[in-house]
Amino acid sequence: MRGFLRWRTAELPVMHVSTPAVIPVNQLLKSPMGCGAMMKSVMEVLLLLMLFFTAHAKEKSYSPPEKPTQTRCRSPEKETFTCWWEPGSDGGLPTTYALYYRKENSETVYECPDYHTAGENSCFFNKNDTSIWVNYNISVVATNALGRAFSDPVDIDVVYIVEPNPPEKLTVAVMEDKGWPFLLVSWEPPHKADTRSGWITLIYELRVRLEEEEDDWEMHHAGQQKMFNIFSLRSGGEYLVEVRCKPDHGFWSEWSSTSYVKVPDYFHREKSMWILVAVFSALIFLILTWLLHMNSHSLKHCILPPVPGPKIKGFDNKLLKNGNSDEIFSALVVPNFPPASASKYEEMLVEYLEVYVPEEPELMLEESKDLLDGCLKSENSRSDSDSGRGSCDSHTLLMDKCGETKEEERQTNRESSLMETQGWKEEAINHDTSGKVKTWPSVYSPLPQYGSNPLDKQSSLETAKQHSLSTSSFLTQPGTKDALGPSYTDFCLSNKENHLHPQTLAHRALQTQSDVNISNIGCKRSPATEYVEVQRVNKEDMVLLQPVVSRCGHIEGCPNLPKGEDYSKVKGVDCDNRLLLQREGTGEDVCPCVDQETNGEGGNCYTSSTVSTTQKPTACMYTAMPLQEETALALNGYVDTATMGNLPSC
Amino acid sequence: MEKVLFAVLTLVYLELSMRVVSAPICSYGQAGCHVPSLADLFERVIQQSSRMHSVSSDLHSDFEQYFFPRKNLIGKRKCHTYDILTPEDKENAQRLGREQLTEVIVRLLQAWGEPLSELYQSMSQDQNQDFNLYSSNKALEISDILHELKDGVTIITEKMKLLGVLSNTVGYNSPESLVPSSAFYTQGDLDSMDHHDLLYCFRRDSNKAKNYLRILKCTTLPEPDC
Repeated sequence: MRGFLRWRTAELPVMHVSTPAVIPVNQLLKSPMGCGAMMKSVMEVLLLLMLFFTAHAKEKSYSPPEKPTQTRCRSPEKETFTCWWEPGSDGGLPTTYALYYRKENSETVYECPDYHTAGENSCFFNKNDTSIWVNYNISVVATNALGRAFSDPVDIDVVYIVEPNPPEKLTVAVMEDKGWPFLLVSWEPPHKADTRSGWITLIYELRVRLEEEEDDWEMHHAGQQKMFNIFSLRSGGEYLVEVRCKPDHGFWSEWSSTSYVKVPDYFHREKSMWILVAVFSALIFLILTWLLHMNSHSLKHCILPPVPGPKIKGFDNKLLKNGNSDEIFSALVVPNFPPASASKYEEMLVEYLEVYVPEEPELMLEESKDLLDGCLKSENSRSDSDSGRGSCDSHTLLMDKCGETKEEERQTNRESSLMETQGWKEEAINHDTSGKVKTWPSVYSPLPQYGSNPLDKQSSLETAKQHSLSTSSFLTQPGTKDALGPSYTDFCLSNKENHLHPQTLAHRALQTQSDVNISNIGCKRSPATEYVEVQRVNKEDMVLLQPVVSRCGHIEGCPNLPKGEDYSKVKGVDCDNRLLLQREGTGEDVCPCVDQETNGEGGNCYTSSTVSTTQKPTACMYTAMPLQEETALALNGYVDTATMGNLPSC
Repeated sequence: MEKVLFAVLTLVYLELSMRVVSAPICSYGQAGCHVPSLADLFERVIQQSSRMHSVSSDLHSDFEQYFFPRKNLIGKRKCHTYDILTPEDKENAQRLGREQLTEVIVRLLQAWGEPLSELYQSMSQDQNQDFNLYSSNKALEISDILHELKDGVTIITEKMKLLGVLSNTVGYNSPESLVPSSAFYTQGDLDSMDHHDLLYCFRRDSNKAKNYLRILKCTTLPEPDC
């Protein structure tokens, strides 16, 4: 093939396609006969047709070859070099390739001396043809029957295309250094590279990995040395080692063949390490324990937060422990109460008429105001859900809102409220189930309604006032009669008024009194709590009362006992709508508590304003009254509505 | 203030007390000098030549990347050292002998002293090109190393002559005869093409020098591991 195309640059031999086909036909058809000549032409035509037919059938089109590309040139030892090229499309025809080169500063074109040594599509330059530090201009030509193609020229200098062979004779040995193993790796340069004479200088690089960890190589640069130590080995590990080299200005070689090595186990070393680890962890554990101990308290708080106990807002437990009740209750006092603008309550407040002597209207107002304040105070205090208060429920009597009271609260305050009571109106009695007397100050609404609600309001108002005057307060339950116990005093004015609320009677009575009062100018004005005296009963079954000259102060034991003999207590109402009154002893003499068993029940002597009338005769003096007298005594001198039942049935 | 003074005094004392005593290096073995061995000298010289070649190679590649992004654009050029006959393969180089090899090395190095300084001057003057701005320092470095290398090779030859390794036939030719084409570049300013040619030629010649020096060392100091 080599000698097939030898041309000078100027010559371009052209070949016909049909020429190869024609020749064998000519050789075949060597017939001396004349019809053989005709046969020959026929065969030629047939062959041509076949050729074109096959060409069309296969859809092939012949063309000159495509331009080949020069891939690379390499020198393994800087003494010889090889160039490779990549052929392009051959155009469907057999194509030949040739390599031509020119040396620097010379016009002579040489052809490649060796196409075979280095394989296909290559050109090998031996030592004689290789010059270092000389520029080579190389081109490759592809030729086929239809034409030829030149590759792009390439300029190379052999000194810069050196790519050595991989290092050889790689050995790896396990050595020991003071009990610790290491790998001693050694190798030799590729045998072709002449490093001994200094013609070529190689630098080396090696890589190590464990057998189980693929692609996790550890690189080591070894410089010009031909041995290397690798430390930090894993006990019992299997290692793979490879090495490669490069001239100081050139390309890296391929990695050498792998060398395997197994590192023996060195347990004793590892054991000591584990001992060290154990000691350290124990130390750390001790430190942590000590830290925990130091901060146990705060940690406890963090992990197990203390459960909040019940606590009254604004209430100091320590005050309770001290036992000073004044301080306790003062702590419960809400500042800024009542609110400045009490207009809301004032609107709701039922208008009331003061029955006292109008000489001191300011005091009346004050009282009413106090009542109002008391109600408001309790009203507002009630809104504090967290408070332990409940004692002030008098505001409930003031209005509907205020009207809601709690039985429990009343009962809790019963004991304390029984202690201090002030002058009460004898008629105005309302008992609760616990036997407390609910009294109203002599302030009533002039509304002539007998419904329970307004009266409730009245009672609330009065009781609220009472509360303001005394530290104790009462809760009234202006509810149904069922709520009221046997101590309920019922004024039985008439048959049809059997179930009249005592407040009603009182209301009427007092209303009368108010009329009386108004007409009674000049009457002496009594202090806050005032009493009325029954003057007479008029025809219309109205009890006319008159204010009493106050003589009663705070009398312990009998706080409500009026002094003097003018007082009369309402004992009850008989069937004829007569008010039964009784007279009691004077103040200082404590009327012995009489057992209130008029109702058939054993009542106790209440120190509060509870009243239960008894029908037992007492040692108290009686005033001669036109009415029936009975020795119903109670400390406070109020009629026990509950005892009404004992009276002659109506 | 006192602290500063104290610190300064401490530093001065430390420096004085811990001064490393080293003898100056000289090649003639005068009193008090530390005379380096031939191996040390060769080592130093080879390092320098390697460095020189490395820098010049970088400079050349930078130049090509900047001005000629397309590869393989090598025109017809002629290096001014073309008439210095240099061995072009290993056999020839080994056949040459130490003396001639030394001479070739010296000639090569001497031939490049002036052109390099011219190159640097040209590059530093022509600030229009950004390449010159950033790379003129490399040219300066090459020039300096070359100067040192020349001195080093001189010292080595002296040493070798002293040791009897080198015959006395190696002489120092005059600079004019060694640099035949120094007039090459005196025709006006150098342009970029000239720069490129210079860099290309020098890169090759520095490689030659480095290689020859290595061969010289390995033949002069035979070691199993050269």
